[in-house]
Amino acid sequence: MLRRLLPLALLMAAAPGPLRAQSGAAPLTDRERAVHLLSRFSCGVRAVDVERLLEIGADAWLDEQLAPGPLRPVELARRLEKLSSLRMSPQEVEELTYLELPIDATRADRIARDQRRQIPKRELLLSLALRSVESERQLEEVLCDFWRNHFNVSYTKGWPAHLWINDYERTVVRGHALGSFADMLWASAHHPAMLHYLDNALSRRPPSSAELKKIELRVREETGSKERGEEAAAIAAQRGLNENYARELLELHTLGVDRTYRQKDVVAVASALTGWGIADGEGGDLGFAFDPGRHIDEDQRFLGHVLRRDRGEGPGQGERVLEIIARHPDTAEFVATKLVRYFVDDRPPPGLVKEVARTFQKREGDIPAMVRTIVESEEFWRREHYQAKFKTPREFLDSALRVTRAEVETADAYHVALRSMGQPTYHCDDPTGWYDTADAWLDPGVLAKRWEVALQLAAGGLEGIRIPDSFYGGLEDGDSPLNWMQAMVREVLPGGASTRTLAMLHEVVREHGREGEAPDVRELGPRVLGLLLGSPEFQRQ
Amino acid sequence: MSELSRRSFLQGAAALGLAGPGTAIGLRGARPEESQQRSLVFVFLRGGADFLNMVIPLDDDFYALKRPGIGISPDEIVPLDSHWGLHPALGALAPLYAAEEFLPIVNAGSPHRTRSHFDAQDFMCFGAPGMRTVHDGWLNRYLEATRGAQQEEFRAVGMQRLLPTSLRGSYPVLAVPDAFIDKRSKEVLGLFDEFYGADGMEDEREGDGSMEGEREDGGDVDVVESGRVTIETLRRYREIVSRPDPAAVDYPRSSFAGALQNLARVIRAGEGLEVAGIDLNGWDHHANQGASGGVHARLQRDLAHSLVAFRRHLGEAFERTLIVVVTEFGRTVLENGSGGTDHGHGGGIFLLGGGLRGGKVHGDWVGLRSERLYQGRDLPVTTDFRDVFATVLAEHLDFKAPKGFFPDYRPKKLRLFS
Repeated sequence: MLRRLLPLALLMAAAPGPLRAQSGAAPLTDRERAVHLLSRFSCGVRAVDVERLLEIGADAWLDEQLAPGPLRPVELARRLEKLSSLRMSPQEVEELTYLELPIDATRADRIARDQRRQIPKRELLLSLALRSVESERQLEEVLCDFWRNHFNVSYTKGWPAHLWINDYERTVVRGHALGSFADMLWASAHHPAMLHYLDNALSRRPPSSAELKKIELRVREETGSKERGEEAAAIAAQRGLNENYARELLELHTLGVDRTYRQKDVVAVASALTGWGIADGEGGDLGFAFDPGRHIDEDQRFLGHVLRRDRGEGPGQGERVLEIIARHPDTAEFVATKLVRYFVDDRPPPGLVKEVARTFQKREGDIPAMVRTIVESEEFWRREHYQAKFKTPREFLDSALRVTRAEVETADAYHVALRSMGQPTYHCDDPTGWYDTADAWLDPGVLAKRWEVALQLAAGGLEGIRIPDSFYGGLEDGDSPLNWMQAMVREVLPGGASTRTLAMLHEVVREHGREGEAPDVRELGPRVLGLLLGSPEFQRQ
Repeated sequence: MSELSRRSFLQGAAALGLAGPGTAIGLRGARPEESQQRSLVFVFLRGGADFLNMVIPLDDDFYALKRPGIGISPDEIVPLDSHWGLHPALGALAPLYAAEEFLPIVNAGSPHRTRSHFDAQDFMCFGAPGMRTVHDGWLNRYLEATRGAQQEEFRAVGMQRLLPTSLRGSYPVLAVPDAFIDKRSKEVLGLFDEFYGADGMEDEREGDGSMEGEREDGGDVDVVESGRVTIETLRRYREIVSRPDPAAVDYPRSSFAGALQNLARVIRAGEGLEVAGIDLNGWDHHANQGASGGVHARLQRDLAHSLVAFRRHLGEAFERTLIVVVTEFGRTVLENGSGGTDHGHGGGIFLLGGGLRGGKVHGDWVGLRSERLYQGRDLPVTTDFRDVFATVLAEHLDFKAPKGFFPDYRPKKLRLFS
C-alpha cells in the first residue's frame, strides 16, 4: 500500500547503495567490497570509514590494522588510562578489592564488599565497550572477541575469578590477538584464570593409600568420630586427577573433538599437567605455580609421542604437550575452520579453510598471516557471503553504538542489555565460548529483545550511554523529510536498505509531520533511529 | 485479526510448526480432539537442589545426626505416610499427594559422576550423561521425531527469554521474552511488523516481486523470516494469554508463578501445546541454606505454592497435564561447616498430574548410613532419570522412544502411571 503512495523514483533516490543485489554471480561493487570488509573486520560500519576505505584501498587499510600504531584517538587512550585495574596484576587486584568483613557484618557491609569486588570487572567491561566504539584499531577488537571466546574463561565460575580476568584479557587475549596462536595457547595454559576456570588447579596426583590412612587418623583424632575419619578419607580419595582442562585443551582449544585423540590421551595430558596451579598460598603472588608435590612423575604416551618424566623439576612435561598440539595439523584445520566461519560464512567454504590451515602451518600459527589469507582470497569476496552473517547480540549492540558514535560513561546498562539478549562478555559458563553462528542466536522470540534494546538505546533509555546531539546534527538543516531520512539511513546502514525498510521509514516520517514541513528531529530522530537499528538489514553483517 | 493477517499468521505458524491450515485459529476455537492434547511441563531446578531437605525420611536416625543445623525437626515435617514427610515449605503439596496427583521419586538422578553444574545440567537436558557430542534437548528430539507434515498446533514453548536447554535443537521453539505481556511489548511488535512482513500484506507483495523484499545476498540467514515468525507467534501467544480468563486463580508473586500462570492459559486454550520448559534458578546453597526457614525454604515455598495455584488454575485440564520437576544432582548428606551443603550425586524427581500412580513415594531408598552412600557421602542414584523421561514420553505422550533416542541407553519402563 505504501508503495503506491511513494513514487518509485523517490524510493530509488533514497537508497544510498544499490537498491538490491544484482544477480547472484555479479561481483561486489567497490562500495560493497568496502562495506563487506568493514562488516567483518570492524565492530560496526560507519559511513565515514567506508569513504576512507574507498580512498586508501583495502590493502592499505589491512596493513594499517594488522600492524597498528599507538591507540587512537588519544581521548580513548586517556579514558583507558584512568581505569587503573586494567593494568593491575592479580595481586594488585586482590589488594584493591579486599575488604575484610567484621564478625558482626551487616547487610550494608556485605554490599560494600561485593561492590568493591565488582570494580575490576566494571572497568574491564567499560574498556571493551569504549574500544569497540572508538578505537581506530578495529581489527584488533574483532580478533580479541574471537580469541576471547576461543580461549573462554568466565566470571560465572565464581569467586575468585575476578582476580584474574583483567590480567587474562591484557596478557593472553589482547597480548597475542595480533601475534601467534602458539604463544596465546602457551599464555592461556599458564594463566591462573584458565587454571581456575577449567579446574586444572584442583588436579593432582591421587593420594596414596598411606596418605589416605593418615588423613583418616588425623580427622578421627580431631573429631573423635570414626565415621568422620572414614568420610574424610573417602572424600580425599576422590581428589585426584581432574580431566576438565586437559579435555577442553584438546577438544576446544587445539585439535577439535572426535579426531585424533582418545580418552587415554586425555588422561595422559591431564597427568602431564598435574602440578600446574596457582600460587595462592602464603606469600603467593596469585600467578602461575608448578607444585612438584602434586605432579604425577611418570612417563606419558600422547599421540604416539613419549613424554619423558621430568623428575618433578618443573612444568616441562605439560609444556611438551603444548608444543605438540600447537603445531599439529588438526589444530591448524580446527583453528582455520573457526576463523573462516567467524569471518566469512557460517558454513565455512572448505577450499578457504584449507588455504588458511596451510598458512597456519607455514607461518607457525601467525594470526595476521591467516587474516591476510582470508582477505586476499577470492572466496571472501563472493557475493554469497555478503551480509550473510547474523550479528551476535554483542556484534549487534557494539555496531549500534559505533554507528551512532554513542558516548559510553558506564558499562552497567551495556552489560545488562547484553545479558538480556543472552551474551554478556566474559560470562559464558560453557567452555566453548559464545557461538558466532546464526543457529545459536536466531531462535524465534529472540529478536523481540533485540528490538527492545534498539528502541531503548535510540530513546536514551540505556543508562550511562548517550547518543550525542552531533549525531543528529547533520540532519537539522531544515531539509526535506526525505533527504533527512536518507541521511540517517546512510549513517546507520552504509550498505543500503531494502525498499521495504525505506518505505516503512518514509511512512513514519510522513505521519510525523505535515507535508512540506521540516520534521522535529529531536523527537523524530530517535524514533527513526530505533527502527533502523531494529531493521532486518541491521541484524546482518 | 483480519482474514489476510490470519492467513499470513498461518503461513508463519506452519513454518514454525504451530498451526495447521485446516484450523480456523482464533475464530472457532479448537477442535474437540485438540482440546484433549496432553501437555508435559518440564521444570528444572538449577543449582542442584537439596532433595534430602525436601522429601525427608521420618525413620532414619542418621538424618538428624548428619544434619544437626539444617535438619528439619520431626514436629515440623509434614508427614506423607509413616516413612516420609515434606519440608514444611512444601506442605501445600501434601493434599495433592493424598489425592494421588503428586509422586515423588527419591534417589533419582544421573548416573554420571560429574559434580559440575554445567555438565550435569547439560547431560540431563540432553538425556545423554557423559556424552559431549549430543547437543539437542531431549524434548526437542521428541518434537523432531513426531514432527508431522503440517498438522502441528502450538506445540512447544519455552517460558523464558532464552530457550531451556531441554528444548534446544533443530525443531524451532518459541522462547517467550521476559515481561513480554505488557503494553510496551505490544508496541514493539507493532513497530516492527511491517519491517518483517508480519503486517498481513503478503499477497500484495508477491504481486510486485521485482521491487520487493529481501536482498538476494545473505546466504540462508533469513532474518526477515525469523522476525516475522517472532512477531506472529508472540502475538499469538499474547493473544492467548491475554484473553479474559474466567478460571483465574491467585498465584504467588514470583516470576516462576507468572510463567506458570501464562502457561496455564495456553494449556487451557486447547491449542495443542505438547511441551513447555521453565528453569527455576538459585538452588545452589553452599552456605546458610537454613532449615525450616531461610533461602532453601523460600525457594521451596515458591515452588509448591506456584504449582498448587497452577493445578487449581488448570482445573480439568490438569488431568491431561504432567509436570516433571528435576534437578541436576542432589547435595551432600552431611551439612558442611558453613550451614550449607555441597554438590552431591543422587537427588530426586517430582511428578505431578493426572493418571499417576501417586500417593506413594517411589524409588529405592537405602538409608543414610555412610557405607550405603555414593562415595560415602552422597545419596546414590537408584533410578536413572532417563527411565523416568522414557516412561513419561511413553505413558503420557504415547511416544515410545526409538533405539538411540537416549544415546547408548535402553531405558527401563517404570510403574509410575496407573
